[in-house]
Amino acid sequence: MLEVKNLVAGYRSGGRVLDGVSFSLAAGEIVALLGRNGMGKTTLMRTLTGQLQLQEGSINFEGTDLTNRPSFRFAKAGIGYVPQGREVFTDFSVEQNLMMGVLGKDGIFARLPDNAFDVFPILGERRQQRAGTLSGGQQQQLAIMRALVGRPKLLLLDEPSEGIQPSIVDEIAVTLARIARETGLTILVVEQNLEFVQALASRVMFMENGRIAGATDTVADLHTQTDLIHRYLSI
Amino acid sequence: MWFAHGRLLTVLAWVALFILPLVLSDWNAALFAQYVTYGIFALSLALIWGGAGILSFGQAIFFGLGACSMALVTLGKLPLLGDSAWVGLLLALIIPTLAAAVLGWILFQGRALAGAQLGIVTLCAAFVAEIAARRWDFVGGFNGLFGIPPMTGLDGDILSGFATSYVVLGAALLSYLIALAVLRSPLGTVLAAIRNNESRTAHFGYDVRLYKIFVFALSGALAGLAGALFALQFGFVSPTLIGFGLSTEALIWVAVGGRGVLMAAFLGALIVRSSESVLSSALDQYWLLALGIVFVATVVFAPQGLLGNVLRLPSPRRFATPKKLEEKSRSVGQVEPDAK
Amino acid sequence: MADVIALFLDTLSFTLTLLLVTLGLVVIFGMMNVINMAHGEFFLLGAYVVVVVTGAGGSFWLALVLAPLVLAFIGFALEWLVIRHIYHRFIDTILATWGISIALKQAITIMFGPGLQSVPNPLPGTIDLAGIEYPLYRLFIMAMGLLLAAGTYLVFFRTPIGLTARGVIANRAMSASLGINTRRLDWATFAFGAALAGFAGAVMAPIMSVDPQMGVGFLVPSFLAVLVGGVNSLVGALLGSALIGGTSTGLSAYLSQADTQILVFLLAMMVIRFFPNGLTGGKR
Repeated sequence: MLEVKNLVAGYRSGGRVLDGVSFSLAAGEIVALLGRNGMGKTTLMRTLTGQLQLQEGSINFEGTDLTNRPSFRFAKAGIGYVPQGREVFTDFSVEQNLMMGVLGKDGIFARLPDNAFDVFPILGERRQQRAGTLSGGQQQQLAIMRALVGRPKLLLLDEPSEGIQPSIVDEIAVTLARIARETGLTILVVEQNLEFVQALASRVMFMENGRIAGATDTVADLHTQTDLIHRYLSI
Repeated sequence: MWFAHGRLLTVLAWVALFILPLVLSDWNAALFAQYVTYGIFALSLALIWGGAGILSFGQAIFFGLGACSMALVTLGKLPLLGDSAWVGLLLALIIPTLAAAVLGWILFQGRALAGAQLGIVTLCAAFVAEIAARRWDFVGGFNGLFGIPPMTGLDGDILSGFATSYVVLGAALLSYLIALAVLRSPLGTVLAAIRNNESRTAHFGYDVRLYKIFVFALSGALAGLAGALFALQFGFVSPTLIGFGLSTEALIWVAVGGRGVLMAAFLGALIVRSSESVLSSALDQYWLLALGIVFVATVVFAPQGLLGNVLRLPSPRRFATPKKLEEKSRSVGQVEPDAK
Repeated sequence: MADVIALFLDTLSFTLTLLLVTLGLVVIFGMMNVINMAHGEFFLLGAYVVVVVTGAGGSFWLALVLAPLVLAFIGFALEWLVIRHIYHRFIDTILATWGISIALKQAITIMFGPGLQSVPNPLPGTIDLAGIEYPLYRLFIMAMGLLLAAGTYLVFFRTPIGLTARGVIANRAMSASLGINTRRLDWATFAFGAALAGFAGAVMAPIMSVDPQMGVGFLVPSFLAVLVGGVNSLVGALLGSALIGGTSTGLSAYLSQADTQILVFLLAMMVIRFFPNGLTGGKR
């Protein structure tokens, strides 16, 4: 469904953070993207949402060429984004945050889907609360739900477990796995937390110096594959 | 490419300016001297705007104060000081400097005003100054002051347009060199740092406020000098000189010429003023319309101004780096407007 | 007693008039962080739409509807031609809109001449308010100021469009990644702000001397009202308008117009100096 070829992107002055990234995702896959800090994972995510312009390369999503299209076109085409640091609208209520997720997709007469407050029950309890007052884990759930109410076909998650208490990390992993199973949602997740990856992903790609440097399909025992971990993850 | 020639072109421009009066008629030389006066005024604005990132909509306050000081002294309205133009000049430097220092202190003390607030407050200050000047009969009130005696030579004879142009050119070159020396000194580097990121500069331990007040006061002095020369050449001082209109006109000159490079700003004033006198008769009222459009186009599509890239000077020698690194580091310390 | 009521009515009138004129500025400044120096000329153009329409025998009320539409279009065109290139360059928005203001003012002068244009008062007559004969049309202006401010507030804080707009202000990139067309919102906001200015100009035309300099006179008090109250803030605009309007009316009872202006400007400058974020601190 997603076909990415030879992406080059980075600073305007010419530094190439992405240096020829190519990969593809099949519908319904859950793929984790691993790598050390500074290898270009977040930059890759930002190009896949159109927030960062490409210097070279192409992005094709479900037969639509999205190369250097404006950011909102990526979202309209069905790419949902949960950014690093969550980026919820802190001054808005939980409900207004979720509304932002549907307004862009369905126009100003959009309504929230019925299950908007069922997936993560805490969001229902805090419906009118200001998002800025939520805990990190709750904000993460809100950011995920904000993307999901827009009914994406591909969900991009950037470090969803960062700075969040373990019980909520587990809840998020289980919930996402269930939603993917039930709806056929494709997920690309950047993670440092191997447990989270093992609970969710069916395939792993490793990133190094702005390129996809390796991959593996055996995820279940990832933490025992010391050669891969040593090569791509340890410092 | 042009970059490498900035120094040569700047020197050539000055040489050309000094040769120009030789080929002009006396009348045109006098006109030229007036444009150069506006050029000094533009320099004063480029010093704070390009140098320290202070965008002021009230620069004419200091120009007007300089003109007023000169007029009051030479008209003998301040009997204690006599009526010599030299005393007038001295006062025209002191008063605007003090005024700028006080205004600068108000603007930059504590949490400094910047951006919109700075723009509107200086704009307001210009309005207030103009209204006040209209109301104050001592400085001529609504009609202004008339009959200011023109420049005289050492022998007491009135200077010709030709001689006037060299007096003004000399003042312009001096102002340029002073401003340039400040911007290329370590002090100028601190100002550039303030322009790029004020709070970070403060965190490095620089008293940002003092630097800004200093350069603001110096710029006030240069504007006052321009005002004094103006008064001597035109023979009158009106309240509009101190106000919002002239302040913004100067912004246009500097933006069109190039806000980041002193020489570009200086030539910007000369270019706009001289094209105005040539074109305003041909284009009639369409001139101002055209000027507005050209100004907008320059700001949007050539933020460095028409001459900014051509006349940019290489970095001061203390930033000299081995040849190999030169390419990368040449913009360090350079007067270069940021894109904020 | 009658004097007090008269003073109160004058203050209220000045405040609401200023609020009416300021609204478009607040929308463009608060929502887009663009200082629109051409605001005064948008206001001016609104008044000239009335001059043209009534001059051609049309009704004033028709002109009142047309003015915001014309200005919305002009705002849209200018956003597309100029403003969209310089959103990330704050200082340049001040300069570019200043250039636009010069060009627009001169275009008006060329088309209509520098002289005064008169617009007939569509609501002549007075109304008895607690013993004061008050001009009917002034009450209409005050009502319009109140109505438009309330309307703008409701649009921004009670509708999905307003939520979208506020979301884009808060986090532009994220809003775009949620599918919101931020470009469309940009020009729509600018056009809306221009339309508000045009409407204000049209409303004010009958009681003002309509000439090419009329915009400047309102530009500075409007900016001061916005900054005193606090940018990004409709409540702040109301507060700022009330302070500027109140002190102006109060002082002008004792001082000449010029002295009043000087004092009010100085006071406003001091407020901005000590409260750079405005008295409301930039919230709502």
